Amino acid sequence: MAEVSLKHITKIYPNIEKTKKHRFGKKAAEPEKKKSNLKVTDEGVVAVEDFNLGIADREFVVLVGPSGCGKSTTLRMIAGLESISGGELTIDGKVMNEVAPKDRDIAMVFQSYALYPHMTVYDNMAFPLKLRKAPEDQIDQKVRQAAETLGITQYLDRKPKALSGGQRQRVAIGRAIVRDPKVLLMDEPLSNLDAKLRNQMRAEIIKLRKRINATFVYVTHDQTEAMTLGDRIVIMKDGVVQQIGTPQEVFNEPVNLFVAGFIGVPQMNFFDGHLEKTASGYALHSLDNQIAVSSETCKDLETAGVTSLDVTAGVRPEQIQLADADEPGAISGTIDVSELMGSTVHVHASVKGYDFVLVIPTIDFDGALGRSFTDGAPISFKFEPNAVHFFDKASGKNIIKP
Amino acid sequence: MANQPQTLASEARRKKILTIVFTIICVIWVLPVVCVAINSFKLNTFVKTETFALPTEESFARWSNFITGMTFGNYPFWSAFGYSALITVLSTALILICCSMAAWYIARVNSKFCKVLYTLCIFSMVVPFQMVMFTLSKTADTLKLNTPWTIPIVYLGFGAGLAIFMFVGFVKSIPLEIEEAAAIDGCGPVRTFFLVVLPMLKPTLISVGILEIMWVWNDYLLPYLVLDINQYRTIPIQIQYLKGSYGTVDLGATMAIILMAIIPVIVFYLSCQKYIIKGVAAGAVKG
Amino acid sequence: MKSKAVKQSSQIKSARHFWWLFLLPVTAAFTIGFVWPFIQGIYLSFCKFKTISSAKFIGLSNYASAFADESFQHSFWYTALTAIVCLVLINVIAFVVAYALTQGIKGSNIFRTIFFAPNLIGGIVLGYIWSMIFDGILQQYGTSVVLETRYGFWGLIILMCWQQIGYMMIIYIAGIQAVPEDMIEAAKIDGATKAQTLFKVIIPNVMPSITICTFLSLTNGFKLFDQNLALTGGLPYEQLADGKTINTTEMMALNIYNTFYSGTGASRGVAQAKAVIFFVLVAAMGLAQLSYTRKREVQQ
Repeated sequence: MAEVSLKHITKIYPNIEKTKKHRFGKKAAEPEKKKSNLKVTDEGVVAVEDFNLGIADREFVVLVGPSGCGKSTTLRMIAGLESISGGELTIDGKVMNEVAPKDRDIAMVFQSYALYPHMTVYDNMAFPLKLRKAPEDQIDQKVRQAAETLGITQYLDRKPKALSGGQRQRVAIGRAIVRDPKVLLMDEPLSNLDAKLRNQMRAEIIKLRKRINATFVYVTHDQTEAMTLGDRIVIMKDGVVQQIGTPQEVFNEPVNLFVAGFIGVPQMNFFDGHLEKTASGYALHSLDNQIAVSSETCKDLETAGVTSLDVTAGVRPEQIQLADADEPGAISGTIDVSELMGSTVHVHASVKGYDFVLVIPTIDFDGALGRSFTDGAPISFKFEPNAVHFFDKASGKNIIKP
Repeated sequence: MANQPQTLASEARRKKILTIVFTIICVIWVLPVVCVAINSFKLNTFVKTETFALPTEESFARWSNFITGMTFGNYPFWSAFGYSALITVLSTALILICCSMAAWYIARVNSKFCKVLYTLCIFSMVVPFQMVMFTLSKTADTLKLNTPWTIPIVYLGFGAGLAIFMFVGFVKSIPLEIEEAAAIDGCGPVRTFFLVVLPMLKPTLISVGILEIMWVWNDYLLPYLVLDINQYRTIPIQIQYLKGSYGTVDLGATMAIILMAIIPVIVFYLSCQKYIIKGVAAGAVKG
Repeated sequence: MKSKAVKQSSQIKSARHFWWLFLLPVTAAFTIGFVWPFIQGIYLSFCKFKTISSAKFIGLSNYASAFADESFQHSFWYTALTAIVCLVLINVIAFVVAYALTQGIKGSNIFRTIFFAPNLIGGIVLGYIWSMIFDGILQQYGTSVVLETRYGFWGLIILMCWQQIGYMMIIYIAGIQAVPEDMIEAAKIDGATKAQTLFKVIIPNVMPSITICTFLSLTNGFKLFDQNLALTGGLPYEQLADGKTINTTEMMALNIYNTFYSGTGASRGVAQAKAVIFFVLVAAMGLAQLSYTRKREVQQ
């Protein structure tokens, strides 16, 4: 049972400009980046602003965003490694703002694993239990059980130095789960692994969460991890929460341009246009063309009270279909380059100065339309119905889901 | 390319010659110590006249030099040896523990006071002992730090600079995440330091320890000025005292104590040679 | 105090509660063993005193006496000469030895061990070992190391070389071994001869070690005391035209020591002033080295 609730959590670093030297290796770089984008008030630089989130018991929440967005800072505030400048953090209803990390009943997996180099794998995993003065036989049983779960039993006598990255990662997770924490915090745990191991460990984390009774808070900059692991995703930018929702929600209904661009690979295609109310519904004037707006979207736009507006439109690459050049509403351009990915082809095309990426299944490769994707060749395409997202050009907000 | 094998062969020959040359130099290098050993078995009058000859029947002194040396100057050599060892061990232990703790605090907390202290430490490394010798010995007298059991505090004070400098350098290279993991695992600051940080400092502890041992064991002036030398003498004091206090010295006996003073150093050196050489290279930054 | 609150994670805050455990012992000892004697030393250099309680402020006259003292002047020039000769000899020989010992010849490790060994012997003991040896040689010519200045001078140089070459060699070996192997191989393939590789590739890359060793031997030379005391103790005397005597092989540290503790102690103020001058000299060299090493760290 562990519900975590963050109410108006804020983190302010006072007078960051005055600290000439930052002491802590990795984090030293972050404030530098923050300086340019983060809000600066009289009190200092706001690293996390008004963060509100209720995390249910056993939920898996992923904080995601570009580096310096405040996601790690938020996690570290939950851990108690960073003091909270404002707001209230509760775990199971108890206010934790001033509670020491060791008394919060949390565990954390670090990006660099942070294993104790002078201890064996066994001692690393036993350490938190020993500190809690657990009986020797119970320690032994728990450590062996965790090692079993993670498949590192044969390495128990080794020192971390003698392990590979993936094995170290398992030890770090093992150390976190031996004492059955209420909340398991993970700070970019996979980003030091190579691509193949990362996929493998990601699957293991999914399996792991089914086995243990903990609430997960997971930080990553990788949207694939966020989408595959999270029950809910929190997308942050410059210390401000952009959107909180299930993977499906943030993918299908991004609240603004940033979320739309951040979630999804390849990135959503954006182009500017003008949205106009017509007799029959709405029309989007863009790319020297009039692009049809589906009746469903029209209804939503009606509800939002739009009459005439400059917009940035967005279409996901998967929701673009090839079309004949003379088809009504078809958009024509030239192919810059095409990349064969196996089951799909990524076609990069430029249209009226905008870059478009199309994901075409290879089944269409020599398909009905009979096109080949040579560089420089003309290409025409149209959008699937309902595929176009409209964002207010001025504010970047999604018009339909404000 | 035809002469390639020949070049390699001449290279091998050159290396062989170098080995021979260095062997000869090394023999010369240890001669002074051999000389001490030889002369410690000679009668006093022959040390000056036949310095480089092996003891003859006439000049051979058997163990008499060693027996004389043990109580030379009415001061038992073993006391000097014991005090030297006591002061060295206590001072080194004190410096290692206190300075590693302070260095961790300085590196992590880094308050204004820490910065001032750290700057003073670096500064103290370039101050020659003569600058403070008079006032330091008077201060030590006033505070009763003039016994072998309390002089380690003086060594801690005067030697803190280098030790803290070296420890801070190493602590800064430890990723903070490990200490954060310890905090989450249930360590307070004290346990974080003793259970997590201190074991990781082991290589630096050895380096600093060796530098301090070499310094304190061989130090002459500081204990000479601070200690009451009628009561407490270290080995360097004892040797200097003998030479300085008489017009004619029993050179044979002097060589005997010098030999006895060197032997533990040689044993120490041979047993932890690897660490000593590493430690010395690490301490090279000392001003 | 504004910057104090920046980036203080909470476990560092809790560490602050333990300042008395972590910081107090060193701070107290450091104050007793360094800070207070240093401040008092500076103050006393402006005083006339025999004991500290009888100190009387007399301004700069101690410094005037110190600078006018011929024995002090002599000790400065003698020290500078010794330090520079030591510096050149020790560093050149140590580098040559280090270079030879990194060529993969048989027995390198044993040679290294033997060369370094004298460094562990203390200055006092060293002095007596070598005075025995020099006197053993010189007595055949009816003289002694304490009877002629040039013997004392070269005796000290030989002693210092014996003690310090091994130490500097260790630093040079570390420096040479840090030169990337592939850089040397690249030079070989580019057609560089052994000498060219040494001067164009290895020496430029070992420059940091050379600088450190140069500064070290310079400051070590200036601070020399034990060896000087034990080998010659400043002897022989020389009478100057005005009837004063100076110890011709007396170096600065020994000169300061003798001014403090020989005679009635009437000139302790002057001795302390000399010590301050000596400190400024040595500290300037030491700080130059530190700032150089610091700069290098930044560049890396």
